[in-house]
Amino acid sequence: MGMETTIPAIDPMPLPAPFWLFKLLLVLTFILHIVVMNFMFGGGLIAAFTALFRKKNENNHRLFKDITPKIPSLLAATVTLGIAPLLFVQVLYGQFFYTSSILIAWPWFLVLVLLTLAYYGFYIVSFKEDKTSRGIGWVMLISVFLVFLVGFFYSSNFTLMNAPGSWSAKYFQDPSGWNLNWSEATLIPRFLHFLVGSIAVGSFLIIATGLFRWKKEQEYARFLITRGGKWFMYATMVQFVVGIWFLISLPREMMLQFMGGNMFATISLLIGIAGGLAAIFIMSNGIRNEDPRKPVMLAMGITGIVVIFMAIIRDILRTAYLSPYFKAGELATKTQLDVLILFLVLFVIGILVWALMIKRYFFTPSAKTAE
Amino acid sequence: MNYPVWDVTFGAGLLIAVVAITHVFVSHFAIGGGLFLVLTEKKAYREEDSSLLDWLKRHTKFFVLVTVVFGAISGVGIWFTIGLISPSGTSSLIHSYVWGWAIEWVFFFLEITAALLYLYGWKKLDRKTHLWIGWIYFITAYLSMVVINGIITYMLTPGKWLETHNFWQGFFNPTYFPSLLLRTTFAFALAGIYALVTGTFQKDPELKGKVVKWSARWIIPAFIVIPIFAWWYIGSVPDAVWESARGKMPTATRYANYILIFSILTFLFSLITLIKPKKVPFVFSLLIFLMAFGTMGSFEFIREAIRKPYIIYDYMYANSIYKNQFPGDAGMSIQNIQQQGLLTVSKWAEHKEITNENQIEAGIEIFRLQCQSCHTIDGYRSMRDVLVENKWSQTGISRRISSLENMFNGVMPPFAGTTDEKEALAAYLATLAPVAPGEAEVSEEEISGETVFENNCSDCHDYAADDTMFTSMGKYDVSRISYLITRLDSLNEEMPPFEGTDAERETLAQWISEQFK
Repeated sequence: MGMETTIPAIDPMPLPAPFWLFKLLLVLTFILHIVVMNFMFGGGLIAAFTALFRKKNENNHRLFKDITPKIPSLLAATVTLGIAPLLFVQVLYGQFFYTSSILIAWPWFLVLVLLTLAYYGFYIVSFKEDKTSRGIGWVMLISVFLVFLVGFFYSSNFTLMNAPGSWSAKYFQDPSGWNLNWSEATLIPRFLHFLVGSIAVGSFLIIATGLFRWKKEQEYARFLITRGGKWFMYATMVQFVVGIWFLISLPREMMLQFMGGNMFATISLLIGIAGGLAAIFIMSNGIRNEDPRKPVMLAMGITGIVVIFMAIIRDILRTAYLSPYFKAGELATKTQLDVLILFLVLFVIGILVWALMIKRYFFTPSAKTAE
Repeated sequence: MNYPVWDVTFGAGLLIAVVAITHVFVSHFAIGGGLFLVLTEKKAYREEDSSLLDWLKRHTKFFVLVTVVFGAISGVGIWFTIGLISPSGTSSLIHSYVWGWAIEWVFFFLEITAALLYLYGWKKLDRKTHLWIGWIYFITAYLSMVVINGIITYMLTPGKWLETHNFWQGFFNPTYFPSLLLRTTFAFALAGIYALVTGTFQKDPELKGKVVKWSARWIIPAFIVIPIFAWWYIGSVPDAVWESARGKMPTATRYANYILIFSILTFLFSLITLIKPKKVPFVFSLLIFLMAFGTMGSFEFIREAIRKPYIIYDYMYANSIYKNQFPGDAGMSIQNIQQQGLLTVSKWAEHKEITNENQIEAGIEIFRLQCQSCHTIDGYRSMRDVLVENKWSQTGISRRISSLENMFNGVMPPFAGTTDEKEALAAYLATLAPVAPGEAEVSEEEISGETVFENNCSDCHDYAADDTMFTSMGKYDVSRISYLITRLDSLNEEMPPFEGTDAERETLAQWISEQFK
């Protein structure tokens, strides 16, 4: 059966705004989602690892105690910020996304169950007064592992979405939704690429906690910054190996896109590589400095730029995978201008209200003094 | 069809129902509970009641753990689940209402942030700022319902959207406001019901009595007002839609009865708590909680049931087939599929042609593509149960497939496919509950009038003296009745032509004339 025949027809309702606007919002909100997800997952993993596999000393206890209460809120932010890109991907690529989701329906549905369990696990750790017990470390690690599985199912779905050619064989073999995308050569390196990246960026949660403490308790702050910095460097070094594996696992024509075939893709990848190397060196020197704050912040800033380019690369790759089956120009567009303007206005108001809430929360004098 | 169909053995519909009903029971609490938190906080300050305040702090924690975690994930869960089970319908909702969803997302983001700051703010913020955050929580939570309500009600009563495809005409549809007020009131009731649960868990009788009385003040007025809005809601739903909730449509009728029972019990039990508020057992509050869950669940079941056979009323059937042909429908309309064939039009059919050898296999595939979004073999809405109960022969099954849209007051879409496809489906279904010769497979010669009635008329008509079939035909003589049976479709445009043999028609006419004399 030809693969063209299995790709569902585009939804007859026209796009309610130009393609580029949805694309912009998709990539933008994906970046926000992925950064917060990295803090949650990477930060949680480092905390769990510290509690279980590091020396039982004051600093390690404090790291666990300080990081774990942040994780539930970061998970809330991950889910909330994840809704937007999931919405926009369904607008633009619904015919691919729904189909791949149906093929792996049970793992995809299981995401909800796993997330709920992980969420409650994180809250158990967060609300527990005594965080020194080994049991609580395990609750943390198991919850992180559940999120790890969620990530794997996401990688499975989003690689399968790009590969319509493999759909019908999978579906007709098992329509009950128990497939995963094991046959995909890029699945494991791609997932590992995200995983290792999460640990690298997640280390910033530890570093940032240290930066906030710098003025009050320099010694503990230095411990956090150094510990976080090391996680960042080692993870980013591993990332070079995983990244190369991912690159060579790509189909030849995709790989060549990043090796001069597509100038923008090539430059983006080079920026990613150069940024990664620069961040390692700056971090490595920075954590040995008398005052590590500035270089560490620079390394984090560079990594932020790398993340943006990686998200763009991810989108270029999707476009390349889907190019035989999808032409953006074929989508009918009928902009719902009034609703779009309403959204933009409410979006801006929303950001202002959000910022005001955060400001009032963090910068209002403590209740103890007011009451 | 356009999308592959996820084969959920125990029932796709059941999976959606479980996710959706547990979600709405929490999400309405998330809205009403928001107002409850700020008003209770103000009350505690006004009365300088520190034990009430301490309870409220614990209740906030419970609130966040229930709404922010389970409420949010199950809300995303509905979206995941409908995308897996009704991808075409979900895609349609997303394409028509993406900016509505995006607006809802802005409110949702504020809502989640405010909920967390409200919880953590108990330890950190002054009273004024804390209350301010609480108000932002309630307002944004409510606004998210203001948006979602437009999209949910649109699915049932799309109104002018069907002609114009205009965002606002679909959004502010005929049931928008009654549904919003009904849900608002229920949200306030739920705030009281959840508070009753944590309130009756308290040991201090004074505190317990206070929380119980305060909770009852949320539940009882709400349950007095709910019938008014429910009445308005019922009146706003077009009569044609309600038809299926009456008479022989089992789901809606059953749940309409449940909702009456559950809501009356919720109301009465809540009144009982006021007799001795200090002594209300925790278990009793759980009972009220379950009754309220039954009420909410029944409401959602009715809403879903009366929308049948559509997922978006008058636009798309529950099995993702479009009601009418229009440009861009990719051939997925009922007319086109009836002409071209389901297996031809479907992008996800393995068998493209039906032969004698593959007839059953093709039947299985047709069942999966067309029926399985609602039915299963042995699980939820089991086909085997229906077939075992009715003992239809393959011919009987085939006849019913020909007039699916007339069964149960029109709760099912018409069969979409060619005659060969219909026969393949019937052949497959007949294997589920083989009928032994002599049991029901009555031979043509000895078939009774009652059997012909059962096979041809009983899906819509009752065996009752006041049923229109007997009141309109019973008064004529046999030959006149027999003649009328030949022109059923011209007597009433909703009736399909009689498909039996001449002998069956004569037998039926004879039988009708003898009933209710």
